[in-house]
Amino acid sequence: MESRIKHYNNMLKNREITCTELTEKYLSSIESDNKDLNAYVTVTADAAMEAAKKTDEKISRGEEISLLEGIPMTLKDNISTKGIETTCCSKILEGYKPIYNATVWETLKTQGAVLLGKTNMDEFAMGSSSETSYFGGAANPHNINHVAGGSSGGVASAVGGNIAVYGLGSDTGGSIRQPASFCGIVGLKPTYGAVSRFGLIAYASSFDQIGPITTTVEDSAIVFDAVSAYDKMDSTSQGRKGAPTVDTLKNDIKGMKIGIAREYLEGVRDEVRVCIEKACEVYKSLGAEIVYFDLPALKYALPVYYILACAEASSNLGRYDGIRYGYRTDAYKDVNEMICKTRSEGFGDEVKRRIMLGTYVLSAGYYDAYYKKAQNLRGSIVNAFKNAFKCCDVILAPTVPMTAFEKGNAISDPIETYLTDICTVPVNIAGLPGVSIPCGFGENGLPIGMQLIGNTFCESTILNAAWQYENAVGSEVFRPSQYGIKL
Amino acid sequence: MVTHDDVIAIARLSKLYIPEEELDSMTKAMDDIIKFADTINNASEEGVEFDNINNLSNAFREDEVVESFDRDEILCNANDIDEGHFLVRKRV
Repeated sequence: MESRIKHYNNMLKNREITCTELTEKYLSSIESDNKDLNAYVTVTADAAMEAAKKTDEKISRGEEISLLEGIPMTLKDNISTKGIETTCCSKILEGYKPIYNATVWETLKTQGAVLLGKTNMDEFAMGSSSETSYFGGAANPHNINHVAGGSSGGVASAVGGNIAVYGLGSDTGGSIRQPASFCGIVGLKPTYGAVSRFGLIAYASSFDQIGPITTTVEDSAIVFDAVSAYDKMDSTSQGRKGAPTVDTLKNDIKGMKIGIAREYLEGVRDEVRVCIEKACEVYKSLGAEIVYFDLPALKYALPVYYILACAEASSNLGRYDGIRYGYRTDAYKDVNEMICKTRSEGFGDEVKRRIMLGTYVLSAGYYDAYYKKAQNLRGSIVNAFKNAFKCCDVILAPTVPMTAFEKGNAISDPIETYLTDICTVPVNIAGLPGVSIPCGFGENGLPIGMQLIGNTFCESTILNAAWQYENAVGSEVFRPSQYGIKL
Repeated sequence: MVTHDDVIAIARLSKLYIPEEELDSMTKAMDDIIKFADTINNASEEGVEFDNINNLSNAFREDEVVESFDRDEILCNANDIDEGHFLVRKRV
């Protein structure tokens, strides 16, 4: 699989296309295809063209350009962009324009990235289908009657539909990996602390992490290397440990131990299980060793995640009061009524449910039974993974137990939808890196993804294993959609 | 079992209004979610103390005075301002 970023970088350097022409192509694709995909909620055409011109001027002066310079890309709508509307796809942040850039965007902007616009997501990243968005859900580029997944559904739809070369999403319980799996592309959730969260509008601060959504593993490594650095503005930032991941991407994996935790395969659809079994065979043919083991602590991962993430959300979302920014109700008698009405009118149902659950588990009388117990079980899950990595280098698991849901199915039953996050949340609970890559197709023709999970700060190991798989099976598991720019 | 009174109390703490006609559905949704959350209480193990992730320690930086945002910039997203202040309706 050819790196899309390198492909365009070469075209720009060899003057086969100007950056202005490339950006115009993408903007025109957005204009025609976004009607079907609903991937973008804000398009920043003027700023994109301005950035593209700067790159062209640089090239015409004979100056060197970096790999990401002039490459059209997108950001999830919860990543702050100075002067550009950033709504988290919520009514309560309608019209909000941040006065500073998130560190990740500042970094990419400095490198000359061309921002095409902001992409759709579940409201405040709470959901698995992007349908809780105030702007309606993003569609799957492989079949628009199905969802793109969530919560970074807009980024995945845009990248899968090639109306952006790459994008940055955020992953709190699977929100990068799950939509990447649904859209047949690559989604990397880095180790907690590897990428700065400064400027990422918080959902659950001890779980949230920004990461790339791309079409190839190499692109994922390129973007991760660019944005993973220590940032003094984020007190949990640690940056990338070790050399750039692109340097070790193509290393031999002979002797690598790939672990399969049996619990991950419980309850997944047969067609998904078959894809994982086939992937094991591919890895064996590449010289890797498959190791089976049990991770019983995983059975509590879902309730632990929902208790803790909602508790953190109830606190984080306390800031929306209609006073300093965002939506404010029209009619009120006093400040308390203003705040309550603003929040009740501004938040959608799923966000309200999660705030309520979070408040419940933190309230007097319930704190020990839910929040404290869940924190302790989080400790057990962290230890279980630590032990697992004593016997393997990476863990191979399904990303989602099924292919993309039909539109409307995910929001009808919240608990049923929560259960589909079973394979993704453990990684966030333990702060580990995980990458989802395509590994086949379901009977309905929609993509199936698998994830490779690594020990903390071992992005290079999982991307190496992912690249080797991608290189071995290539186009068998990747199909371009009918949308977007054709390479 | 989550009751209407629980939901009303939690909504008050959350600074949310739950309209009368949505009280039944919200109570049922909360009850379903709490039952789901309750499964952790079936865990035989107590778990282990967890206080941070990836061995993070407090990150302090020098207490240096640096340039802050301009007041007008900070106020630019507010619905109502007056002479450099956020404005809300008089309460007393």
